Order: sequence, then C-alpha cells, then structure tokens
Amino acid sequence: MPDLPPKKVGIITCSGEELPEGTVTRLAALRVLEQLRPGETVTICLPLFLAGGEGDRAFAKFYPTIAIDGCEKRCAYYGTVRYSNEPAASLIITDLVKKHGLEKPEGLRKLNEAGQQAVEMAANEMAAKVDSLLGKSWNRTKGEIDQSNNNEQPEETTPATCSCGSGIPITILTISDQEITVVGLPLIFETFQEKNKAPSVVILDEIMDMVKIYNRIEPDDEPALRVEIQKEYETYYQRINNE
Amino acid sequence: MSETEKVNIVPCSGIGKSFGSVSRLAAYYITEDDRPADTTLVPLALLVLGDKDTNNTVLSNPSITLDGCKLQCAKKMIGECGGQIAQDLVVLDVYRDHRDLKPAGIAVLNEAGEKLARALADVVDLIIDQTLGITREEKNA
Repeated sequence: MPDLPPKKVGIITCSGEELPEGTVTRLAALRVLEQLRPGETVTICLPLFLAGGEGDRAFAKFYPTIAIDGCEKRCAYYGTVRYSNEPAASLIITDLVKKHGLEKPEGLRKLNEAGQQAVEMAANEMAAKVDSLLGKSWNRTKGEIDQSNNNEQPEETTPATCSCGSGIPITILTISDQEITVVGLPLIFETFQEKNKAPSVVILDEIMDMVKIYNRIEPDDEPALRVEIQKEYETYYQRINNE
Repeated sequence: MSETEKVNIVPCSGIGKSFGSVSRLAAYYITEDDRPADTTLVPLALLVLGDKDTNNTVLSNPSITLDGCKLQCAKKMIGECGGQIAQDLVVLDVYRDHRDLKPAGIAVLNEAGEKLARALADVVDLIIDQTLGITREEKNA
C-alpha cells in the first residue's frame, strides 16, 4: 500500500466567531484534537474548501469527518457537503445545550460556566463518535462508511495537527475533454518507483488496482484513464531516474 | 467622516495554529473593546455557506482581513465574495516587528500571544481611522 495518511477522523468546526456557541465548537474540537484523541484526529479550516486547492477539497472524502456547528445554520456541515463530501457524523451545540438542559453559553472570548460545560459534553460526544468511526471501515473509494463491516483496526498515529496546506495530493487527468480527479496518484507512483517497478503492462495492472482503492472509476472511463495513467507513470519514472 | 460607515473585521477561523488564535483575539479586541460602533465582525463560516446577510455586509463595507497563515483564507474569501479589502494583514508580518512576542497555545494563548494580538489590534485601529476618514480632531472630540 502506498504511504498515504493513516486512518484518522477529520474534525471540521464552524468556528463561528460571532457566537459563544462558535467558541464552544473551537474549544471542544481542540479538546479532542489535543487531549482526548490526539493521535486519531486531524482538522482542517472550513474556508480552505473554497480558498484552498483540490487536495483540501478531497479532505472529507479521504477522512470520515465530524462536522461540529454552533447553530442551526450548520455552516460546517453544509459547507463540507457542498465542497468536499458528506460528513460521517455531526453535532450542533444549540441542540446539545437543549438536550442537556444547560443554560445558554455566553462570552465570545471567555465562556461562562454553561459554555464550559457544553465544551466538555461536546468533546466527549465527539470522542465517542471518533471511536465509533474508527471501529468502522471507511471506504475511500466511495467516501462513506463501508457497510460490509470488516474489522479494520486503527493504525498507529502521530499527534494531530492542522491539515491546512497539506491536503491529499490529487492529479487532474483529461480524458475526452473531461477532467477526472485522481486522489493520491503521486504517492502511488512513488511506492512503485521506490520498488524499481519499471513501467510495463503488468505494473500498470498493479497501479490501476491501487488507484481503484482510493478512487471511484467509472467502467466507461477506465480504458482511457489507464492510458493516461500509463503515460503519467512513464514520465514520472523517467524523471525520477534522471534525477 | 467618509461615506463608509463601518469596517468589516474578518479574522482567520483556524484552530490549528497559535497565529490563528492571535488573529481572532485581535478581532475581539477591535470589535468588542476598541471600536464596537465602527466595526462588524464577519465570520468566515457564514461566507463559506453563502449566507446572504453576511455577503451583503461584505459587499456594503470595506474589510480588513486578519489571517493566521500564508494561505490567507480570510483575504481569499472576501475576494471570492467580491468585497473590497481595505487592508489584508497576516499575523506573521506583525510578529516580525515584535519578535519578543512569540505566541504559544491555541485554546488559551500565552501572555506573549495576547500582547501580539493587542499589537495587531493597534495596527488595525489606525487603519480603521484611515478607512473611515476619521481625523485626530474628530477622534479627540
């Protein structure tokens, strides 16, 4: 398998600077990212779906994602749906406050007692969702939970950090005037090149198998895509060997 | 006073770096403490969602963007919405002038981070005056 990022859960907050509930989302997410599940979670700034590149927009397809929103507008959830992929789970602070009968959180910079309680509750709920999602198999081809329920275990991880600017590498290939986005292609090529697997029909079969793990390929597109990927790999292999 | 009545303050919404927290705290200093009557805090998430009221706010008044990193999401989002940018600032640029104020922490900034946010807010306060055409005499009056 190529050295693609290990299985983690992505956390996307609305951050809502204008609402105390937005502050709750930030602090709850940080509690999960830094303290409760540091090795199993990663985050990305919501605006990067628009301001960033294709790799950033691939985030929620690559990672099962939890959207945490301050209010019913659900900016994090709908923004992620619109620009990346449907989150695997979501949480709304106003609902959580209502459900637990808390007072309204107050204070944008420094939360009141109710706000701090909401942070704890939201963080614990998210941590439970992380565990649940890691216990399930995430299908990176479909960008959804795999219903076949294999028992893939979480891999060893490193401390969670911001994913800004370190999106999943993508390549856009043009086939019959249609652009097809292929996730993880440079990493897949690197894996084969490092094993000195020179371009050939057999190697191309192996590469295509790997590409299909991370991408949904329409059967009609496959023959032409195969030709393009072959050309890309030949160019890549030659360039790396010349270096 | 110029025809511009208010200035939008648009901080970074990142939670992965201290510099993002500095931008957010500076935005709170400006919109809550220093210039509440002259400014509107604009959250990026609502722009991502395409919220009409927030878009109108961005189109109606000039914006000062406060970004936490070089990706400059705030600046790009205002540009994406067709808003006018009075000034785009990156926290790192202000930090270069205040090397002794190295921010640390995200949920809770260290003292240096809070001071850096104050320094950034001071810079922005001056830009607000320029943007609104407020003279020293008007301010003192």
